[in-house]
Amino acid sequence: MQRRNISAGAVHGGGSGQQVPGGDRLRRRAPVVNATLIGGALLAFGSVGAQLLSLGLTPRTHMSMAVSEPVATSFSRPDIIDRNGRLLATDVEAPSLFADPAIVIDRDEVVEKLVTVLPDLDQSDLRAALSDKARRFVWIRRGLSPKVAQRIHNLGLPGVSFRKELRRAYPAGALAGHLLGSVNVDNKGTAGIEKYIDDVIGVDAVNSATLSTRAPVRLSLDVGVQHALEDELDTAVRRYKSEGAAGLVLDIKTGEIVASASLPRIDPARPTAAIDAAHAEKISGGTYELGSVFKTLTVAMALDEGLATPATVLDVREPLQAGRHTISDLHSAGRPLTVAEVFTHSSNVGAGMLALQAGPDRTRAFLQKLGLLDAAKTEAGIAAQPQLPERWERAELITVSYGHGIAVSPLQFAAATASILNGGVSITPTVLKYQAGTNAKATRLVTRETSAAMARLFRLNVMDADGTGKRADVPGYRVGGKTGTAELAENGRYDKKAVLSSFVAAFPMDDPHYLTFVLLFEPKGSVETGGQRTASTNAAPVTARLIGRIASQLGVAPMSVVATQ
Amino acid sequence: MRLLNVTAFCFAVASAFLLYSLNYETRHLEAQIQGQERAAQKAKSDIAVLKAERSHLSRPERIDPLARQLGLMPPRPDQLVAPDVAAAIAVTGKAPVALRRLAESE
Repeated sequence: MQRRNISAGAVHGGGSGQQVPGGDRLRRRAPVVNATLIGGALLAFGSVGAQLLSLGLTPRTHMSMAVSEPVATSFSRPDIIDRNGRLLATDVEAPSLFADPAIVIDRDEVVEKLVTVLPDLDQSDLRAALSDKARRFVWIRRGLSPKVAQRIHNLGLPGVSFRKELRRAYPAGALAGHLLGSVNVDNKGTAGIEKYIDDVIGVDAVNSATLSTRAPVRLSLDVGVQHALEDELDTAVRRYKSEGAAGLVLDIKTGEIVASASLPRIDPARPTAAIDAAHAEKISGGTYELGSVFKTLTVAMALDEGLATPATVLDVREPLQAGRHTISDLHSAGRPLTVAEVFTHSSNVGAGMLALQAGPDRTRAFLQKLGLLDAAKTEAGIAAQPQLPERWERAELITVSYGHGIAVSPLQFAAATASILNGGVSITPTVLKYQAGTNAKATRLVTRETSAAMARLFRLNVMDADGTGKRADVPGYRVGGKTGTAELAENGRYDKKAVLSSFVAAFPMDDPHYLTFVLLFEPKGSVETGGQRTASTNAAPVTARLIGRIASQLGVAPMSVVATQ
Repeated sequence: MRLLNVTAFCFAVASAFLLYSLNYETRHLEAQIQGQERAAQKAKSDIAVLKAERSHLSRPERIDPLARQLGLMPPRPDQLVAPDVAAAIAVTGKAPVALRRLAESE
């Protein structure tokens, strides 16, 4: 409308006196409009300029970059802690070194300088990898320590850079190394509990150093007890010049493995040592003829089947004949023995007589019931298959009764003994912390009375002046136990010189709660043992020192000497 | 008409300015968030390393010899008493007979 008025005014050229003041007003307003427009434009451009200026002045914030490179997947793993929350394994970020061959200028310089920091670097391999300019990503070394990474960084090599990756750390060193297992360079579990975590609990595949948000895996192990066990076994290996040793502490009420050790140790951070046979896991990974500790099972069977009571007298004066073999006692008592004395004197003849009385079917059924005829598996890995006699005839029956001709893993023997002493119910050995309801499928294996009688025999064997286990006593802790000295079979023949000496013990015997099992491989006689290699002179005192150290850690209160005798 | 145009133009400029400043503010905040996240990530990583270091320093293999050097030893049975016995000692100032015998038998 206005526009039309303006043009009308212009056309008529002031012909109408009424329209001039309107045109004047408009003409006067034009500079204001122009100024506003220009001002607006200036403001707009000014603000853009100011924005640019402010962007230019503020320090550059970090920018994310997408680099085209092969995706290096690794795994982020939950921590492993002991039963009291002490850290056993965790992921930490570690720099890994890689090269981009396209950017590397002088590959000889790179290789030569890197060798000064990483002396064990495969030079020809790296040279070949770096000469392939089509590749954009070559791993040089993964999982460096921060110190080494800094030294490489200081070399200032173009085309060589770092990338943060997760690396498994075992802060407790070689402690419980066999149980913990190991991981590979991608942080994937390859053995032990680490493998169990991969298979059952779960790990997360990551492309960067992202720490796991999963809850830590709580083991049944107690770091303090584990250390005491390993330390005492170390001492024993030195003192008795053994080839190796193994030990186990088991909570017989829940089946939790509180400590488990095999010497020589392996370091979970350097798993290559686990390859040779000496370093093998011995508690569940090896089977052995355990010897006289097996009489625990024979006597328990006789009591449970009602074949005998601890007071039943057996005539053990004559050796037993089985084919061309003669089974006799090391130290014949020269008089008939009660079943209790057969146990405390460790009489082979007495045990053989009890097994013969039970017969092959009942013996096999009893061992089957206690889980000795099948491999016992824990979360920490595969268990060795027991080696059983091919036939169960008179000779086999007698030898099995005192632990020869049958090879089982120490773990499954300990679990069987635990079931006999804990009131007679089955347990499943586990390395994970007990949670209520885990043992819901526990079944009764022997009667409560048999269990109580066996507990008394165990205690008697340690308290009795003639008992083979008297050196295992610890004042106040009511220890009970059984010795075993077995000749080690090599290439199908027994070597009289090499023995496996063991001691299975439980405490406190008034209400057995913990079982210890100590095995010494090929101990030698010494002045301390009076030249003997039998378990009563080596494995028994080791057990005493062990229990003296761990009982208070396990919350077992000592009782006064007077009250226990 | 002209006033409307000018107003609209001004609005356009103003809203463009507003939009840009909002945009930049958002980016700035995003960058800040990223920075915070990185700091949190770094802190988490540091915590993991420190936890590992603390466990490494407190590993029994190291503490055991240190404690023995200081004359400490695993507790002997006679150094431990049940809570009720401890209470009795606190009242009478004397250990029960059985406990004293235990100590003497060592």
